Amino acid sequence: MKTNHLSRAELLQKTRLREFERALEIIGSSIRNPVVKLQFLRESLAQYESLRRRVDWIPLAVIRRAAYRWLSLERFRSYADARTLSPYHRAHLRRALWLGRFWSGLASSLILCGITASSIAILVMIPSLSARMTSQPSDALARESAPARSLRLDPPAATPRCSPPPSVWLVERGKDWEQYSNGLRIDTRYSVPGDPRRFHVFDDTGRLEEIHHAPVGILYHTSESDIWPLEASFNERLRDSSDRLIRYIRRRRLYNYVIDRFGRSFRVVEEHCKANHSGHSIWGHNGRYYLNLNHPFIGICFESRWEGGVSLPITTAQITTARSLTDCLRFRYGIAPEMCAGHGMASVNPTRHLIGHHLDWARGLPFDALGLPDQYRRPPPSIAVFGFDYDDHFLNEVVEPWPGIRTAERFLAAEAARRGISLTALRMEKQARYDEWLSQHVPNDNQPPHSTRRAARGGS
Amino acid sequence: MEERKDHLWKVALDAEERIEDLVKTATSPVGVDVGTSKIVVALRRTKDVDTSAQINAFIPVPYSRFTESTLTQNAIAHYREDDDLIVYGTAAERFANLFNAETRRPMADGMVNPKEKLAMPVLEAILGGLVPKPRTQGEIMAFSVPAGEDREAALTYHEAMLRQYFESLGYTARPINEGVAVIFSELEDHNFTGIGISCGGGMTNVTLAHLSIPFIMFAIPKAGDYIDHSVGMVVNEHATRVKIVKEENLDLSRPPRDKFDRALHIYYQDLVETLVETLRQRIVKSERKSERPMPIVLSGGTSRPRGFKDLFEKTLNTRPLPMPISEVRLARDPLTATARGALIAAMYER
Repeated sequence: MKTNHLSRAELLQKTRLREFERALEIIGSSIRNPVVKLQFLRESLAQYESLRRRVDWIPLAVIRRAAYRWLSLERFRSYADARTLSPYHRAHLRRALWLGRFWSGLASSLILCGITASSIAILVMIPSLSARMTSQPSDALARESAPARSLRLDPPAATPRCSPPPSVWLVERGKDWEQYSNGLRIDTRYSVPGDPRRFHVFDDTGRLEEIHHAPVGILYHTSESDIWPLEASFNERLRDSSDRLIRYIRRRRLYNYVIDRFGRSFRVVEEHCKANHSGHSIWGHNGRYYLNLNHPFIGICFESRWEGGVSLPITTAQITTARSLTDCLRFRYGIAPEMCAGHGMASVNPTRHLIGHHLDWARGLPFDALGLPDQYRRPPPSIAVFGFDYDDHFLNEVVEPWPGIRTAERFLAAEAARRGISLTALRMEKQARYDEWLSQHVPNDNQPPHSTRRAARGGS
Repeated sequence: MEERKDHLWKVALDAEERIEDLVKTATSPVGVDVGTSKIVVALRRTKDVDTSAQINAFIPVPYSRFTESTLTQNAIAHYREDDDLIVYGTAAERFANLFNAETRRPMADGMVNPKEKLAMPVLEAILGGLVPKPRTQGEIMAFSVPAGEDREAALTYHEAMLRQYFESLGYTARPINEGVAVIFSELEDHNFTGIGISCGGGMTNVTLAHLSIPFIMFAIPKAGDYIDHSVGMVVNEHATRVKIVKEENLDLSRPPRDKFDRALHIYYQDLVETLVETLRQRIVKSERKSERPMPIVLSGGTSRPRGFKDLFEKTLNTRPLPMPISEVRLARDPLTATARGALIAAMYER
């Protein structure tokens, strides 16, 4: 009966979901390891919304179903081995993947050809427009035609393509909440004061004398706490675990904000105060560097477990809230988009001069969804400026260093070659600079700088 | 500089050791079915799954040095509690039958029995004999819990007590709904889509899942114990004795032979009717109904008597569900299905 009253949109949504489930069932049937099958199904279902957005525009059901199958297969590729698939199904999987890639490549080429043809037509048909465009090249064209520059930390790929944050203002404030103009609602009932922010900035010459008090960046974390399935039957437990987590974070003053699994945002440590979220860490932009980001950065924690970042470990609701919160904070403090990063990208071991001391968001932070440029493409200052390295443990966890690391390594190699010294000598020189700067830093934090946990466990 | 994410490190640091341990000992995650009448443990050994079970009951006998040495000599599981010797596990039923007495249960209606003061000590003793110590701190294990929609407080307590115990052994413990566990172990071929029913001792748990995601979960308080007590009352026998007779001789496909048999048939019929009717009502109320046929899998000790599946199918024909059913079948091993499903959940959690 109820079906009759479903709107067209609801019916369409239902049909799409069924198409997607059918695609999953087909792939699932070929997996013979129950654990891998379970993993595949659950992770794919969790990704449904993002897959749907990618496939929704396709008008024909038959192509949509094929696209779902192909995208799901692409995700499954990483688990597919002899233990999970029979030889027949492995061959079938390979064929299906190549076919999918071929068709998507063909489709992309056709679209590209179409766009190019239209552009040429416009340029030919409207000479005045053409003349204007050639006399005032766009930023992108200018960048492409500019001569190669010397090594720089922000390569063209990292130039922010996102727009500045929209104007966000406080609409109304209640006893335990604040409502902002972009829909963000902050629960303030757990809010506590902490030590005021107080930090120095470094540039190529060393420490600058001025002491700063306003946050300049945002660092995203995961709580690594126990996570219940996001299902109605676990509602009470989900609420209870969030509540306990926030109380714990409040006691330890760990983060400025927490976004729970339902996407609710809680202010914990007040914004003008430092939270103990980051410890030894390095980040920078535009020739200004920041060491130990508790003071200069706002810590936002997602209630989640990072789990290697293989799949997105946060809910759609969390992403939506994180986007609004990021916009709000960026607007309020004028934070540059390049100053928003994942904890695992900035965390370092100062004793061993290694990156990735903590690893949450060392990959997989959805910058795009947060309205930010992809920071994984930027060379991390820890390597490019301070010559830090990484070890096998880091590689085991992130599998492939993010592209920015590779770029930073190329910078270092080029600089070493130019100066005629070994890469090791160059790294040591840069690391010595870090040690010196670090010794000048430590304004308020009460623990000596060389006592990170990784060092404490006696690593070499 | 305070940082509170030691766990991130632990995971990474232990990884290599864990792999070595797995190679050395071939142990890995553990799945435990903590049932009212039986506790079953499933462990993964290289390629196979090993299961072991113990009856979740005990009987106190007066302490004497002679009794204690007899129990020890005969390798009967027991421990001393003040002036009593607590005999637990399989031997408890034999003793109860011998002395024409009732066993006591650490659990009732699928959860830790709040009225039984020896509940946790006995439960821990039984679990201690079945669950191996983890080789590495934080090894994942999953244990079954019943659906507890209207008994949230009791379920929270039950879950917390078990979790604390398993974590004291060094495991990271994860609860899993009994019906979901049955689906994990039995409906892999259907992409974990279908209805899993666990007819245990204290409760009958039902879960309807689609692609492993449960969307109907409930439990009814009628199961093996209900049948034992009800039959015991009408035939004037101890429930423990009824249970033994039921497990040894009951055949629901044949007409009843005597008063005892007739009573068992009647209460089995009642259980199945309640089960099917409740399932029907839940599906009617549910917003999500499958249009494609779904399988039903029956598991648990109470589903073991011959003819149970036919009885269920017959009842299903008289009270059809508002969705198509492709087949009704018994679990490959009804007694261990939940534990094996919990093991899959534990391996998935890793």
